[in-house]
Amino acid sequence: MAYQLYRNTTLGNSLQESLDELIQTQQITPQLALQVLLQFDKAINTALANRVRNRVNFKGSLNTYRFCDNVWTFVLNDVEFREVTDLVKVDKVKIVLPHSSTTE
Amino acid sequence: MSDGTERHRQDTGLHQLYYDPNIENKNLAQKWLMQAQVSPQAWQFCWALLSPDKVPEIQYFGASALHTKISRYWSDIPSDQYETLKTQLFSQIACFSSGSKMVLTRLCVALASLALNTMPEVWPGAVPEMVRVFQEEGGGVDGRARCLALLELLTVLPEEFQTSRMPQYRKGQVRGALGREWGSVCPLLQQLLRQGDSPGAVKSRVLRCLSSWVLLDVPLSESEGLVEDCFTALPDPELFDTAVEAIVNAISQPDSQRYVNTLLKLVPQVLSLQEQLREAVQNGDMETSHGICRIAVALGENHSRALLEQVEHWQGFLALVNMIMFCTGIPGHYPVNETTSSLTLTFWYTLQDDIMSFDCERQAVYLQVYRPVYFQLVDVLLHKAQFPSDQEYASWSSDEKEQFRIYRVDISDTLMYVYEMLGAELLSNLYEKLGRILTNTEQASSWQHTEALLYGFQSIAETIDVNYSDVIPGLIGLLLRININNVQLADTVMFTIGALAEWLADHPVMLSSVLPLVLQALGNPDLSISSVSTLKKICRECKYDLPPYASNIVAVSREVLSKQIHKTSQCMWLMQALGFLLSALHVEEILRNLHSLITPYIQQLEKLADETPNPSNKLAIIHILGLLSNLFTTLDISKQEDESGESTAPPVKTAPLPPGPNPVVVVLQQVFALIQTVLSKWLNDSQVVEAVCAIFEKSVKTLLHDFAPMVSQLSEMLGQMYSTIPQASALDLTRQMVHIFARETDHFPPIKALFDLVTSVTLSIFQQGPRDHPDIVDSFMQLQAQALKRKPDLFLSESLDVKAVFHCGLLSLKFPEAPTVKSTCLFFTELLPRCSDVPPVARVVQENGKLLLQAVLEAIGGGSSRSLMEQFAEVLFSLNKHCFPLLTVWLKEALQAQGFPSTRVTTEQKDTFTQQILRERVNKRRMKDIVKEFTLVCRGLHGTEYAAEYCL
Repeated sequence: MAYQLYRNTTLGNSLQESLDELIQTQQITPQLALQVLLQFDKAINTALANRVRNRVNFKGSLNTYRFCDNVWTFVLNDVEFREVTDLVKVDKVKIVLPHSSTTE
Repeated sequence: MSDGTERHRQDTGLHQLYYDPNIENKNLAQKWLMQAQVSPQAWQFCWALLSPDKVPEIQYFGASALHTKISRYWSDIPSDQYETLKTQLFSQIACFSSGSKMVLTRLCVALASLALNTMPEVWPGAVPEMVRVFQEEGGGVDGRARCLALLELLTVLPEEFQTSRMPQYRKGQVRGALGREWGSVCPLLQQLLRQGDSPGAVKSRVLRCLSSWVLLDVPLSESEGLVEDCFTALPDPELFDTAVEAIVNAISQPDSQRYVNTLLKLVPQVLSLQEQLREAVQNGDMETSHGICRIAVALGENHSRALLEQVEHWQGFLALVNMIMFCTGIPGHYPVNETTSSLTLTFWYTLQDDIMSFDCERQAVYLQVYRPVYFQLVDVLLHKAQFPSDQEYASWSSDEKEQFRIYRVDISDTLMYVYEMLGAELLSNLYEKLGRILTNTEQASSWQHTEALLYGFQSIAETIDVNYSDVIPGLIGLLLRININNVQLADTVMFTIGALAEWLADHPVMLSSVLPLVLQALGNPDLSISSVSTLKKICRECKYDLPPYASNIVAVSREVLSKQIHKTSQCMWLMQALGFLLSALHVEEILRNLHSLITPYIQQLEKLADETPNPSNKLAIIHILGLLSNLFTTLDISKQEDESGESTAPPVKTAPLPPGPNPVVVVLQQVFALIQTVLSKWLNDSQVVEAVCAIFEKSVKTLLHDFAPMVSQLSEMLGQMYSTIPQASALDLTRQMVHIFARETDHFPPIKALFDLVTSVTLSIFQQGPRDHPDIVDSFMQLQAQALKRKPDLFLSESLDVKAVFHCGLLSLKFPEAPTVKSTCLFFTELLPRCSDVPPVARVVQENGKLLLQAVLEAIGGGSSRSLMEQFAEVLFSLNKHCFPLLTVWLKEALQAQGFPSTRVTTEQKDTFTQQILRERVNKRRMKDIVKEFTLVCRGLHGTEYAAEYCL
């Protein structure tokens, strides 16, 4: 199964809004909407894994970490993100990483 | 409708679906057929559709309908009919075993689904029965076809299990039962695979079947014999792919690590493939080398820890590691000549992790063996990262070049990780190699070789602190010796210098060596991105050491800017670099440099301001305004004191904070009149207005209270701008001013006047119809929310029509643009708490609060996007906390209306919702859950799997 965490992106949210509307106006069934959503999960996971190689470096101090239900969570403080030319400082960052052995 | 007409309709429907060129007819047919498939009649008509006189498409639909019914509507079937259904399916499969393959597969899936629904209680021993039925002679079907049909059925059985939706407890039960069936499947597969006379098609199907079963976590020890047979099948080209798949699947099962003895037996098997691998590589047979590499990597990647721990077998594992190294270094360029090497990169991470996770003592032992291996890996990777010859590279497609770039990034990541294990010695090693090739006078090295070594350096230095490596000064010396005759090489040299920026900050003496290189590259348009970004990094990290070079840097930058060598975004980066650079200078110096830098632009802007507006001078104006904003974003003299205090650098370097006005303010005041002139001509162009606002926004952000001298000037200009042509960017800047200055007594009057003015102008937009300006409405609501938060006194003003603002909020709640609605909800959540201390607010809420509640309920009832429910829940929560008695009455009145907020909710459901809402005055999380639950009911989504999957 593909990860569902990308549903909460602008793209994913817009898709879900459209699906909601189509269901409310009875143009599609919730089952079909679910299939579309699952297809979206697959497509976005593949695209992000295979088509993107942009790199951002960051460092900060690790506040908390945990590994629960195959998901790593890291909470970092005072983080500096560096892209090619930009430096962004953030007080608090939460990183959520599904463990790779559970990928397809 | 009689059975006959029904069937006829299906035939027509299917015919339309497959062959009708008219898309509308196709869609209609599709819809009708989908409904037919789930109808109760489907149990009868699907058998008829399977009759031999039908075309395969119709038979397929029949088989598919059967599967749908069995997998989703199993409860329709009375248990006394299970047996009949099973028999019917067996006989149909037998019929189709020599018929259409797609129908056969569908029927097998249907029978598999039946088996999963009935095992283990109702149909114990399902698999032995399947085997028995198909081994029986008869039905006029030949043995080979029956055998293939049986294998198909056995293959789809685990697959159907993986995709079926059954409750968790049942899933466990069935998995257990299936696991036990492996006892019957395994010998059958083994027998078929070992029989010398088995046809290739049968063996291939056996391998697929094995692939399918091992995914159920059958113990590796039990499939050991079969996996060995798979290795024997590898030399057969017809079976190669399926055999590889089966071996990889078996090895990769998470559970397989428990069977160390079996794994140890697999190592020599995998090693025995080396000859076949070498041959394949020699003959350019990419498929075969890819397949063998997958097997080796699967074993290494999944079991490195288990195999490392078998100390007495260390040589076998080392040989496997070397085999994978061979795959990493497979000859040829990725992705044109080979695509195998990238498969191995993850293995090297895993192996390193496993070695590093041992306790110190054991780690030291392993490192003795594996450090040399990883040094060799670095060589191999850097060889693979080399660009091909110029001629060859030119022949690559853009897609291939992009894939190569990605591959190099992956290599770079691997090197960065490997550094963790090899440490500073890795850098010394790279340094020596680079030194050798650059100082070798006898044999000229290729630029590709030099570039790759530098790329390795850069990969490491970019993310890792190289401070304790003693080779960096030497490296910089070498950089200067490189004969840069190629763009890629020059780019890498630049990026390497950029990666060393932090190191340079600690070793400023080296700046004099590298800066000329960077400044020279700045004049080359081909090196635009690398040179500008490197200069920016150096200016950011080393600004306190740059004053001696400042005038030179500014002069070169001014020249390249005037020659228009760089694209817009690089010009902006360059201005940011100069902002950093100037920040560390004395005020007089800053002013002098600023003037020399900006004067040409100011003159150009003056000229442009006189011209009649047209698209080309608009771009030029926006460009100049952009340059200024970017410069002011990073020009920050306030940090001089604290930042240098943090570092160990001697305090002499910093300029004392000047008593006079900030140089940025001085410049801004000087250009203020010019900006006003530009605005007067371009006031109705949102992009120009945005660019003007950006200058002030960026300056306010960096200057903060230093901006104070300009507050009243800017407030006045913003007011004029906004009353002539309202633009969202002006409101955003107003919000920032409110945020920083509204609480200061001195600045309150101009801020208040501006706030009153923009509010009354926006109210008039609302009167004319705000739908065309969702951006203005969004910014307006944010401004109001900010004002309520920072300085609620702004709402005490007589000239502010609180009631009108409230009504604007009500309208904005119904906008389709989610950001606007979010800002509006924020406005109301900031407004409601003010009922207690701002009388005009209290009055308006008391009189009009019910309308707000109705709007919120309407949104929850389906009027707004479901992703906004949290925001609406916040408004409800705020109403409950601050206007409880009124809310009780309003809720009752509002929800009395039939069909409100949705026709899908009953009076009881509304009552429950009311009670839940009124009870929740402390727990905001709970309130959000209540609202989300209720909105699902209103939208007819409650209880659907779709809504359960929705993760907002």
